Amino acid sequence: MLKIINGQVYDPKNGINGVSKDLYIDGGRFVQPVQEAGETIDAGGCIIMPGGVDIHSHIAGAKVNSARIMCPEDHYDHFRAAADCTRSGVGHTIPTTFLTGYEYAGLGYTTVFEAAVPPLEARHAHEELEDTPLVDTGIYTLMGNNTMIMKALQEKDAAKRRETLRSLVSWLLASSKGYAIKVVNPGGVESWKWSAGTVDLDTPVQPFGISSRQILTALAETNEDLKLPHALHLHTNHLGDPGNVRTTLETMKTLTGHRVHFTHLQFHSYGITPKGGLKSAAPEIAEFMNAHPEFTCDAGQIVFGPVTTMTADSPMQFHLHETTGNKWGSFDVEMETGSGIVPLRYRPSVLFNASQWCIGLELLLLIKNPWQIVLTTDHPNAGPFTAYPQIIRLLMDADYRNSVIETLHPKVGHYTHLKDLKREYTLEEIAIITRSGPAKALGLSNKGHLGPGADGDLVIYQPHKDKEKMFASPVYVIKDGRIIVRDGIARQSFGGKRLVALPYGLKDLADGSLSQELAQDFADYYSISLRNFAVQYDYLPRMEVISCG
Amino acid sequence: MRHLKRYSALAKGLYTPEGRKDRKVVVIDVRPSPTSKNADIFLQVTPGADFEIVHVLRLLIAGKRLEGLEEESLVGGVAFRQWQELAELMKACRYGVVMFGIGLTQSRGKDLNAEELNSLIIELNAFTRFYAVAMRGHGNVNGSNQVLAWQTGYPLAVNFQRGYPRFNPGEFSVVDMLRRKEADAALIIATDPSAHLPQSAVNYLKSIPTIYLEPHENATTTWANVVIPVAPAGIGAGGTFYRMDNIPLQLKKLVDFAVPSDLEALQGIKEEVLRLKRGEAAC
Repeated sequence: MLKIINGQVYDPKNGINGVSKDLYIDGGRFVQPVQEAGETIDAGGCIIMPGGVDIHSHIAGAKVNSARIMCPEDHYDHFRAAADCTRSGVGHTIPTTFLTGYEYAGLGYTTVFEAAVPPLEARHAHEELEDTPLVDTGIYTLMGNNTMIMKALQEKDAAKRRETLRSLVSWLLASSKGYAIKVVNPGGVESWKWSAGTVDLDTPVQPFGISSRQILTALAETNEDLKLPHALHLHTNHLGDPGNVRTTLETMKTLTGHRVHFTHLQFHSYGITPKGGLKSAAPEIAEFMNAHPEFTCDAGQIVFGPVTTMTADSPMQFHLHETTGNKWGSFDVEMETGSGIVPLRYRPSVLFNASQWCIGLELLLLIKNPWQIVLTTDHPNAGPFTAYPQIIRLLMDADYRNSVIETLHPKVGHYTHLKDLKREYTLEEIAIITRSGPAKALGLSNKGHLGPGADGDLVIYQPHKDKEKMFASPVYVIKDGRIIVRDGIARQSFGGKRLVALPYGLKDLADGSLSQELAQDFADYYSISLRNFAVQYDYLPRMEVISCG
Repeated sequence: MRHLKRYSALAKGLYTPEGRKDRKVVVIDVRPSPTSKNADIFLQVTPGADFEIVHVLRLLIAGKRLEGLEEESLVGGVAFRQWQELAELMKACRYGVVMFGIGLTQSRGKDLNAEELNSLIIELNAFTRFYAVAMRGHGNVNGSNQVLAWQTGYPLAVNFQRGYPRFNPGEFSVVDMLRRKEADAALIIATDPSAHLPQSAVNYLKSIPTIYLEPHENATTTWANVVIPVAPAGIGAGGTFYRMDNIPLQLKKLVDFAVPSDLEALQGIKEEVLRLKRGEAAC
């Protein structure tokens, strides 16, 4: 039993906006007020919000770990020695698993989703998440370049096709113990594996001649058929290319009416100048988002400094390697996907980077409904998650924002609109874009709010004029009713829950739901046998199944 | 041979329905081997020429003119003409993989040879898809690389002396630590140092307290101070195995052994150490 009294509470889901309210946690969950005595925290003068929820981050699994190995220079200057309750760790943009958990908790985040896991390597991601303490986690399962899905899409009979996809997608989720369908550059990764060019929405992709548009519409439909808690989580074609706004808007039009989450939208909101340079298309994208409440997105905000880009979008990574000359890692995951890694640095003095930085903030300021956009840096692609407090300050403090614009490449104003935007986020809006909004977009009814029944995760901040300071160092972070951080130091360390969506319940679908033909394909073309494919429940000792429907 | 059958030469794929017939296998080695007998092209090279060979291939792929090299000039003991043909073959193939062994990193040039090979692979991707796979010598070496990387940031040669992980192969690797006589004691798991380390390193190990977890009797069990027999992984104990291409596989326990697994033995030691240190920290 834990009582938190006198705090000024921000709980947007329950309509509580800065009101003094006492909170009670028992058995790891918020409960109705009770008289019973227990530990009491006096939060007088402080601000209380639910635990943060990161909807899109790369923290665990094969590509993250390969990046750690590839980039020891990321680690040398960023280390933490072992302490009473915490283990040692290293890494700035790609911290080790334990450090990742401590750093997220230190910022008041208690739930994080790893955004891109190939089913064949899901076991690895789950092993790393077991070593990532203090946060509840889940993984998104990559499906946008899966050969079996593309083969299934060849079926001409629409009803049969729909049925096959339902069973194939649920089997992939159940096998990988995933939470959502993730699509990365649909068709484009497979096309690159054939050394073919980039793909537009209607480019037929070898070997089955299936297009991005077919993959997208079918998976959006399947996502709804299976009543999955989260939307289709989509990284559209042409990430990072000037002029990609055309593709992004066309994709949005195609998927209108469906539940779709457009991830790291900053990278997909690029117009093009007559000379082929980058200019902001954030206003067009924001206008579309404002007219389509069925869509959500996250920002993928650029942070100046070093980053380690990593994505399943292997052609994009190869292009990044060619244009920067920086080192490159690339991986081919059999029938499922590819991935790539390129470390780089965003500089305010580089016009392209400065414009990217403005475009992300423009989206955050121009999309009117905060429930539709989530604060992310696509960690560690656009920046490390540890920069969230700095971004919050940029959103809440227009004077500070304008002072940073002054330090950018002098021509950035010609290609972006940021300096004309006066909006400043309120604390309530910050609470929405960092916890309540992502929890809602994820279909997590026990996260992102402080009402009875919710997970007992909350953060207590000391108000400060400098919002970066305020959000960088919470006074208390409480998870499941346990004090995990006090004055910036982790006070205990324990494993979080693994959040899983199983469309057909707990019954293990590893063998049953694949059609005979696809099971034969698996036997013929995978390098492991079907019965070794599904991640065993041993890898998820603290699993929580989030219900579908 | 199992590798050739299951993965690299004979396996039939969606895009290689004829298996071996759809592939071209090139073996470069200093001596004939069962693998080279299965090759379409075998290039028997002179030892120690790895860097030179890969560098020449890089220049050929980049379309550079190599002055002073005639068709029959020897590079690594093989005619230059054959390297030209190989370079063309690599550029023209639809999909290529180079599997390289530990020998590449042990000949003159050491890690620079692997670096040069990686550069070649990267440059080939301007023409076609090409990958490289490092063939490690022992079972699940990659598993230890992966776990060390996610827990410490580094795949090997990690030093915790300062309370946080530091990395420097050549300084913190086993042989170097033993050569400098820096270790006070040794805990040895899943390897036989007597069979794999230089004699001077083994001699130093013999002079310090050693604890050895090992399923079999071998040269090290004869002198280690404490030998804890453990169940063999993958037979008497389950766990995760990271294949050389990073695919994680679950190994199942098949047979009960009367001895603990590595994990159980280490947990037991850790608990006892914590009991002895009790009072210092409790979380």
